[in-house]
Amino acid sequence: MADLTSSGAAAAAPGTTDAHEAALKAYSRKKRFSPFLYVPVAWLVFVIVVAALAPWLGLWPADEIDWVALRVPPGANEAHPLGTDHLGRDLLSRIIYGARVSLTVGFAAPAIGVGFGMVLGMAAGYWRGWIDEAVGIAIDSWLAIPGLVILLLFALVFGGSLFMVCFSLGLLFIPTAARITRAATMKYANREFVMAARALGASDTRILVKEILPNVIWPLIAFILIDIPIAIVIEGALSFLGLSVKAPTPSWGGIIAEGREYLETAPWISLIPTAVMFTTVLSFNLVGDAIRRRMADVKESQV
Amino acid sequence: MGEIVLEVVNQRTAFATGRGMLTAVNGVSLALERGKTLGLVGESGSGKSVLARSIMGLLPRAAVTGPGSQVLLNGRDLTRLSEKELRPIRGAEMSVVFQDPMTSLNPTLTIGKQIVETLRFHKRLSKQAARERAIQLLRSVGLPQPEARVDQYPHQLSGGMRQRAAIAIAISCDPDLLIADEPTTALDVTVQAEILDLLQRMVREHNMAMILITHDMGVVAGRCDDVAVMYAGRIVEQAPVREIFHQTRMPYTAALLASIPRITAPAHRKLDAIGGRPPDLIDPPRGCAFAPRCRMVSDRCNRVRPEPVIEKGHLYACHTPLGVEEPA
Repeated sequence: MADLTSSGAAAAAPGTTDAHEAALKAYSRKKRFSPFLYVPVAWLVFVIVVAALAPWLGLWPADEIDWVALRVPPGANEAHPLGTDHLGRDLLSRIIYGARVSLTVGFAAPAIGVGFGMVLGMAAGYWRGWIDEAVGIAIDSWLAIPGLVILLLFALVFGGSLFMVCFSLGLLFIPTAARITRAATMKYANREFVMAARALGASDTRILVKEILPNVIWPLIAFILIDIPIAIVIEGALSFLGLSVKAPTPSWGGIIAEGREYLETAPWISLIPTAVMFTTVLSFNLVGDAIRRRMADVKESQV
Repeated sequence: MGEIVLEVVNQRTAFATGRGMLTAVNGVSLALERGKTLGLVGESGSGKSVLARSIMGLLPRAAVTGPGSQVLLNGRDLTRLSEKELRPIRGAEMSVVFQDPMTSLNPTLTIGKQIVETLRFHKRLSKQAARERAIQLLRSVGLPQPEARVDQYPHQLSGGMRQRAAIAIAISCDPDLLIADEPTTALDVTVQAEILDLLQRMVREHNMAMILITHDMGVVAGRCDDVAVMYAGRIVEQAPVREIFHQTRMPYTAALLASIPRITAPAHRKLDAIGGRPPDLIDPPRGCAFAPRCRMVSDRCNRVRPEPVIEKGHLYACHTPLGVEEPA
């Protein structure tokens, strides 16, 4: 009866089809990204583009000292729009070159971690047996070593190269990535379409690449989105401690650390990079959350 | 007598469980000719799917196959082959249609890609040729607008269409043997008959042999040449389909037949379900496995397991067969 009355009402009132369409539109609008998201997206695009183009922007060289402009506050000197640090180095230029370090670590470390973790997790979850046990023991032992110890060790032994910072940070992401992949792989390895693929003559490699990988990639992408800001923050902490890239190379954490002693006299040296870092990490978090929510929607609508 | 495609000899499949060995298939033998369909009927847990997987060699790692078991496909013993040697046979010489096309199709690949990859692996076709063949196959299984469907993902198709696509994938390389494992159980009743008709037509057109696994005697009627009824891992009755329906020997088969709801029966009549539960396969009863649920049970049934007898092509394993004057 409910059906009858509602369809009768729709036929009686010509305006209701519009109302229906409006409701549909409102629904699909709700599914779209929030307009507030344009701000963090714009900021990230800006930071990434500027960092990528840094050598061609005609900036003051990042490690060149302007002897006549020590600790110039922002806006006081046309040559240094964001001012200079205690050694007279251009802050804008240092922050932009620092962004290159932060972004490289932010993208490379999770990628390295997920790359290794995915291979381990898929092997463990698909073949199980002794491979699973071996990977499990390796991961558990790896987790038993505090992350900071690993980072310190790498910094001491290999010291200051950007690649080693990415690599050592990436190592810290392996266990979680491997576990996520293993769980997802196990879920899909027993699905009928995997057996169907075997029934059609597919090899293990083919099944892993074509049947399982496209399904386990989604939780891993979500994981990378979470890890990018984490990696940036950890790199910041490392360079604050002087354990990241070596001294003349600017990095956000490094600039903040250098300005620490002048917080009273020249607060901008620390505060501007802090603000930039804060905004960037927050933007990555907001965008990551939105994409992950969106991915969950897509997944749900398919299954 | 036609060419024998599949011969299963004394197949035993057991699983190692925490409580002991679970014998899911216990000494099954059968032979299947080209162009014929064998209906394999039984309740859940009777071993019919495990038998199908034993034939395909798709058993889980915990499974153990009996030493005397043989699966001869076109005369070659598959149980002696390695996984690598089986690969070119699976999909090309034998193929499966699974129960639920939602889960048996890869959700991340288009229907076309799933056919094309199988064709390219087994038949070494070019991309273009494989795609054309895929469209042709989709048309032959009755998928409307195959040129458009070929680029669609499984979730864009309805259940019935998905199963049609799954059938197209299964028959893409002209297998000699097609195993349909409850192919209509997950589908709407309205499309069940269409899918069964399609399978029947494919068997005829491609001159395959088919094993149609089902728990529904109604599915088997009129669509199979022979019917084998499985119970507790054994074939307890096997005969041409007319024989099974008209000269039922096993009380279990009779109970299965009686459990089909009839449209002619009065409304709101209680369904004739089979009482009790299937036996524990880890510690099976000493006598006839069906004895605890059987109406015709005798003292002997509980003590001695009945050996199968064959009477004019009708096999049954029962001490108290129906329609026979003097119990064998």
